[in-house]
Amino acid sequence: MRLLLVEDELEIQSFVKQSLTEAGYEVHAAQDGATAFQLAAKHAYQGLIVDLGLPDQDGIDLILALRRSGVTSPVLILSARRSVDDRVKGLELGGDDYLTKPFAVAELLARMRNLLRRGSPPTGDATRLHVSDLELDLLKRRATRAGEVLNLSPQEFVLLEYLCRHAGRVVTRSMLLAEVWGMRIQPDTNVVDVHIYRLCGKIDTEGREPLIQTLRGIGYVLKTH
Amino acid sequence: MSSRPTNPILRSAAWRISLWAPLAFAIGTMFVFANLHGFVASDIQRRSDAWLSGEVEVLGDVAERTPKDRLYLRVVGEVAELASREVPNRQRTSASENENDSVFFLQAPDRGEAQLWVGSGDAAETLSAIRSTKAQGDVPVDVRVKGFGIPFRVASVRIADGSNIYLGLSERDELHVLRNLRVRFLTLWLASVLLGFAIVFYATRRMLGHVSEITEAASRIGQSDLSSRVPNTKSNDEIGHLARTLNHMLDRIESSVHQLHTITDSLAHDLRSPLTAIRGKLETALSNDVRVDQAEPIVSAIDELDRLTEFLNTSLDVAEAKADALRLARVEIDLDELVRSMIDLYGPCMSDKGISVQIRSAGSVKVLADPALLHRVIANLLDNELKHLHASCTVWLSLHSADDMGILAVEDNGPGFDDEVRRHLFEQRIKGRESRGHGLGLAFVEAVVRVHGGNVTANNRSEGGARLSISLPLQKTTSEPDHSPMLAKA
Repeated sequence: MRLLLVEDELEIQSFVKQSLTEAGYEVHAAQDGATAFQLAAKHAYQGLIVDLGLPDQDGIDLILALRRSGVTSPVLILSARRSVDDRVKGLELGGDDYLTKPFAVAELLARMRNLLRRGSPPTGDATRLHVSDLELDLLKRRATRAGEVLNLSPQEFVLLEYLCRHAGRVVTRSMLLAEVWGMRIQPDTNVVDVHIYRLCGKIDTEGREPLIQTLRGIGYVLKTH
Repeated sequence: MSSRPTNPILRSAAWRISLWAPLAFAIGTMFVFANLHGFVASDIQRRSDAWLSGEVEVLGDVAERTPKDRLYLRVVGEVAELASREVPNRQRTSASENENDSVFFLQAPDRGEAQLWVGSGDAAETLSAIRSTKAQGDVPVDVRVKGFGIPFRVASVRIADGSNIYLGLSERDELHVLRNLRVRFLTLWLASVLLGFAIVFYATRRMLGHVSEITEAASRIGQSDLSSRVPNTKSNDEIGHLARTLNHMLDRIESSVHQLHTITDSLAHDLRSPLTAIRGKLETALSNDVRVDQAEPIVSAIDELDRLTEFLNTSLDVAEAKADALRLARVEIDLDELVRSMIDLYGPCMSDKGISVQIRSAGSVKVLADPALLHRVIANLLDNELKHLHASCTVWLSLHSADDMGILAVEDNGPGFDDEVRRHLFEQRIKGRESRGHGLGLAFVEAVVRVHGGNVTANNRSEGGARLSISLPLQKTTSEPDHSPMLAKA
């Protein structure tokens, strides 16, 4: 899949490009709005990543101009601003997403994946999730590991469901807070870790291979094998 | 704003002004009319007195000259009859054209019976009434005759044969004129007072309507939108001046708030861009398979960087909130729901530390607030509890509403606030000795709650432990809120 990255800060551009390339995307980078517009006229992109503070124009104006010229691909907006502009909110309602700087690379990748998945039909059985020997029945809200029923609280089930949906990829604490608890907060205590430890205690019982892996400083991964 | 159902018109200044102005007008015109009435009354009396005096002279003359024969009564009587037809101020009504009871003519000596009587009443009664009235030379006097409700004005003249000639004129017509005058005046007066009231009420209401439009717009602007302006009535009067002055003031406020936003935005931008670059590099370094002993400093650097970002965000929020320039995106939030989901999040962490949590709530308490900020406020309070309480302590979260405010109190039975710390609790950079945070927590809580129109109080409970309570204005709804703080354990 080909993505267009519009970011004027070269240092940010380089590591974002690197991470996206490592994740398997083909990335074209532009440093300003005019270059981005020319690139978008030449190539078709499945997704765009646009920084709001461009040297030649406002990122939102660029997005609107691209939309007018017929580009319909989803946009992930990067913003170093403090407040979320009303126009950004409008774009968000239109199916695009935004990410505040500084961000964790894992979150950027997760949001980009989410955006790209939108519009494509869900794959497989929508009521069951399988990851390794874990199985989640989304209708009965029941989880089993290797056929053994796990005694999870509703909260823990939602947390495990989120991890399963992002199995094999890094999820950060702020992603969990936003998606599982619906809060954009930055607690300076280890509240999320405690939930994860408890969940580990229930699914990674002794004698089994631990499924949930903690990546310190980055987040957590639910291993797929 | 009061929710009591009093009539808003009766409380308005327009009502008071339109009462006082016509009242002053009514009193003034009444005073003028009293003077005018007195003047008209005395003028009518002066005219009828002049007629009476003149006529009585003539009659006296006629009586003197007419020989005292059998025709005397007839001659004098007829002259008197004729004279009575020329009564001044007379009401020309057809019924009283012939029957003339407003004038009498009487000739009588000082003592004894009347010699001549022309009139409709009783001669003896009239004579005794005249005699009992103190005569005052040539000036006509008022005489009240039995059987007549209205007094007569009587002039007299003494003639050569020693008898007195009296000519009486009823004051009925004069009084009638005056009564007519009064009735007409009062009708017109009442009409003009009512009309004046209506006009003044309409005019002041219109004018004060502009004022209340301005007030409403100003309060709306104060609460949310600094970019709108009060309606400008192009007129050059005081109201227009007020609107222009307010708008001018708003221009300046908006420009300084805008200035502040520009500063905080560019500060945020200038710091966040390098932070993003650093964080990205650290993450890239971490994801390349590094040895554990190399990973540790990178991880702690990322932690520190996140803390720095959070500090930057919070201190800019506090700075803006203190200048009343924090940008809010308000939505309806149920505090009860929010507190419960916060406890879902914080509960396991607290019970790991041996702290128990109890919620006392009577059900939903809806406020209008910025969700992102309010979440951070409550997370801050709970982070504080986590950081400062020992094992086996209890935290109580109680929620109730009182006087249009939703009140959330966080209490514990821990060590409470240091006296030294408590005095400066809401200032920036104040923290307990063992605190690891950046010392902005409660300053942030206070600033955010205040821009939402609420307030924060912190004190130590008498039975030990700390109590921190935040109040936020309730979302105004039509449904009846539940005011009884019942006890329900979570």
